[in-house]
Amino acid sequence: MLRKFIREPLVHFLGGALLIFAFFWATGSSRDPAGYTISIDETDIARLRSDWVRNFRRAPTQTELDSLIDQEIAEEVYYREALRLGLDKNDPMIRRRLFTKMRFVDGQKVDNVAPTDAMLQQWMDKDPDKYALSPLYDFEQIYLGQISAAEAGERIDQLNAGAGSGTFAQSISLPETLKQASTEDIGRQFGDRFAGQLKGLETGIWSGPVTSGFGAHAVRITAKEPGKAASLDDVRQRVVNEWRAAQQAEQKEKALGRYRAQYEITVAGRP
Amino acid sequence: MRKSLMWAACTAALALSGCSKIDNDNDNSAEVTNTEYPEQVYWGDTHLHTDNSIDAFGFGNRLDAENALRFARGEEVTASKGAKAKLSRPLDFLVIADHSDAMGATKAIMEAPRIALLTNKFLLRWHDMMNESDEGSLRVTAELIDGAAKGTLPASLTDPEESKERTADLWEKHGKTVDQYNEPGKFTAFMGFEYTSMPDGDNLHRVVMFRDGPKEMGDTLPYGALGLQDPEKLWAYMAAYEEKTSGKVLAIPHNSNVSNGRMFAMNKFDGSPIDAAYVKTRALREPIVEITQIKGDSETHPFLSPNDEFADFGVAGWDKCNLSCTKDMPPESYGGSYVREALKRGLELTLSVGANPFKFGMIGSTDSHTSLSTADENNFFGKHSGNEANNEGRAMHPQNLGTREGRFGWHYLSSGYAAVWATSNTREAIFDAMMRREVYATTGPRMQVRFFGGFDFAPEDIQNLVTTGYAKGVPMGGDLSGGDGEAPKFLISALMDPESASLDRIQVIKGWVDATGKSQEKIYNVSWSKSDTRKLGTDGKLSPVPNTVDLTKGTWDNATGAPELVTYWQDPDFDAAQNAFYYVRVLEIPTPTWPVYDALKFSLTLPDNVIKIQQERAYSSPIWYTPAA
Repeated sequence: MLRKFIREPLVHFLGGALLIFAFFWATGSSRDPAGYTISIDETDIARLRSDWVRNFRRAPTQTELDSLIDQEIAEEVYYREALRLGLDKNDPMIRRRLFTKMRFVDGQKVDNVAPTDAMLQQWMDKDPDKYALSPLYDFEQIYLGQISAAEAGERIDQLNAGAGSGTFAQSISLPETLKQASTEDIGRQFGDRFAGQLKGLETGIWSGPVTSGFGAHAVRITAKEPGKAASLDDVRQRVVNEWRAAQQAEQKEKALGRYRAQYEITVAGRP
Repeated sequence: MRKSLMWAACTAALALSGCSKIDNDNDNSAEVTNTEYPEQVYWGDTHLHTDNSIDAFGFGNRLDAENALRFARGEEVTASKGAKAKLSRPLDFLVIADHSDAMGATKAIMEAPRIALLTNKFLLRWHDMMNESDEGSLRVTAELIDGAAKGTLPASLTDPEESKERTADLWEKHGKTVDQYNEPGKFTAFMGFEYTSMPDGDNLHRVVMFRDGPKEMGDTLPYGALGLQDPEKLWAYMAAYEEKTSGKVLAIPHNSNVSNGRMFAMNKFDGSPIDAAYVKTRALREPIVEITQIKGDSETHPFLSPNDEFADFGVAGWDKCNLSCTKDMPPESYGGSYVREALKRGLELTLSVGANPFKFGMIGSTDSHTSLSTADENNFFGKHSGNEANNEGRAMHPQNLGTREGRFGWHYLSSGYAAVWATSNTREAIFDAMMRREVYATTGPRMQVRFFGGFDFAPEDIQNLVTTGYAKGVPMGGDLSGGDGEAPKFLISALMDPESASLDRIQVIKGWVDATGKSQEKIYNVSWSKSDTRKLGTDGKLSPVPNTVDLTKGTWDNATGAPELVTYWQDPDFDAAQNAFYYVRVLEIPTPTWPVYDALKFSLTLPDNVIKIQQERAYSSPIWYTPAA
């Protein structure tokens, strides 16, 4: 019985009508674009009036208000006739407009969940390298000047053979020693190219030449603390920001994905 | 009705985000230790536009404040036109400075339900044009800038009362984002906006930046310029803000080069002569100016400084007409348009009015409208989203602002950044350094410049330049007085940017007022590379550093310049009775401009008139000398 009732076209029709009615009721609009009744009620008139006031800074006269109402009616009539003729189809502006609206509505569902520490930790664990704390270096550095790698290499050999650092040092206002310096700290002063070369150097001896924009350097690493994974508290603010940004991007993606799943999409030349 | 539905949705959304528990209050209160004196220079951009600026959005920018902050912090983002964008090195701080006038309006017009605009034919037309195509969007933006210049924008865009609600919502959301990315000690995000005063298209723009966070700022809203074009009105707003909140705020004039002589005019906005009250307020509110940026360089002009062979940097394309190109700018107007001349005028006014309204330090910033703070020649994302890095014709495209006057894409500079000697990377320390003018400008490269003045320095003090500099003198931005008739001495150093080019020379630029009351200028070459072979001529000029740029590869040879220049210098022409200022200009060796990198990337042939080689530079804030009373 129930099954038969559900299949009944009249029920479908009434159900559909009820939905449409519910929509217009819920959205406060008394206008059904499919119908032939247009009633301009008090709220509509109030809106027309207040829009006028906003533009012209005075209340409309009765004549002006009447013409606003007539305009409103004319627009509504043409709007519905246009819909009946299907003029909303294939109109790039309407298409774009509806796209933007849907994006906006979907965008509002995102956001606003407070992440727990466990969620953030899980997020960090997905890409530990990204949040890893840099190795920390203690090192000495001698600036050898703008000389060739071969020349610099010879000088470094002499340093290792016991030559005093003063023999070759060129004057420059860069620190001669750094302690507990992260790759970022080192990059700030010597450039990223220099910082990137420390990784491969042996501890305890003069190595190089390490090249920077300034020229050639001899470097002696005296201690190295390897990089390690960050604790959440070390990088909390960054993690929260990136977690939130990723959530938003993902939700957007997901929303599109859900809709897309209902479509069979073929593109010429695409497998 | 549909309108009210949308409003309801928006309100609900706002309410929700207002309830969000994601805030970083705990982290923001983390203690950061200040160093005893500024040990580090912090790099930033005080002038970045996002999609909340009416013109930026109109030009196609779809990146919001969050993307701008992530990019400045060193993250990779996707630019509005699809290219991947990442800085080679992160910045330390950022001021998002969207136009306060009609903030967020183009975005709102484009995204508004059409019915909400039906009664406003002006906005409706724009809405339709923007939704129709990118070209339509560009046309709207051109009309907006034009309308702003002519004062013909509709009231619903410009009247602060009309737009208050929209601005308040947007500003609250913006504040939240800025706070989320402000990490004391690591990265500083400032609250700010741009006051876009533009009488008849003459540029009187200022960036306004706050020392305080959104919480301290309370219900303070950005101050619009339309209808309130007199900068004294802005200063009154700033005074009222400080009064009300006990906070601090400063303003940074920029693009004086297209102000048609009005930025540093010798009279007030209404034409009346500058008086003591004006001088005091201006000096208090505007401690620094933006001397270089995308729309040209404002240091000086060959017309004003005929003896300065480097005066033409960043001048081409910007010196013929004002910002909107609605008025030609005769050379006679340049005096009020360029910074060096303003510093000189300041000395003259010190004598005639008793104080100096133009006693400012110098910074650079981008004024980029792409949400991307780029100032590296090989990683330049353009002025606005219409000419981002993947637009191969951008160097040769005529620009909408004054096409008939011959402004083309290549006239844009990939410039500049603000360098700040601060005691920590926090809002407070960076802001305070700007107030005391311990800042300098660069056209992009991050060279480290130190400049100290005093009467007690000796030549050997360059060995411990920084500690001695602070102990026995004043840093850039400071004041000297007294000296018992002895000429001031200076300790100056410039360390090249290890990721950019080596250095050609350091110059000291001196301005003073002579016995007749007229201001003068002189340029001293004080330190240069290869000093064993390059000698000063009798006229004080130095032979140019060799040009080693290979245009077919975009490379140069750092061996022709110096990695570092350090010097002690004493003014040889000093007269203790004359007011004077001294600032430092550091020049890199010649390097390629951004169109060269575009040409290599896209296999283009650039016409002869395109500037392909330049010497990037830094400008320090001045040190002023005042005779003892």
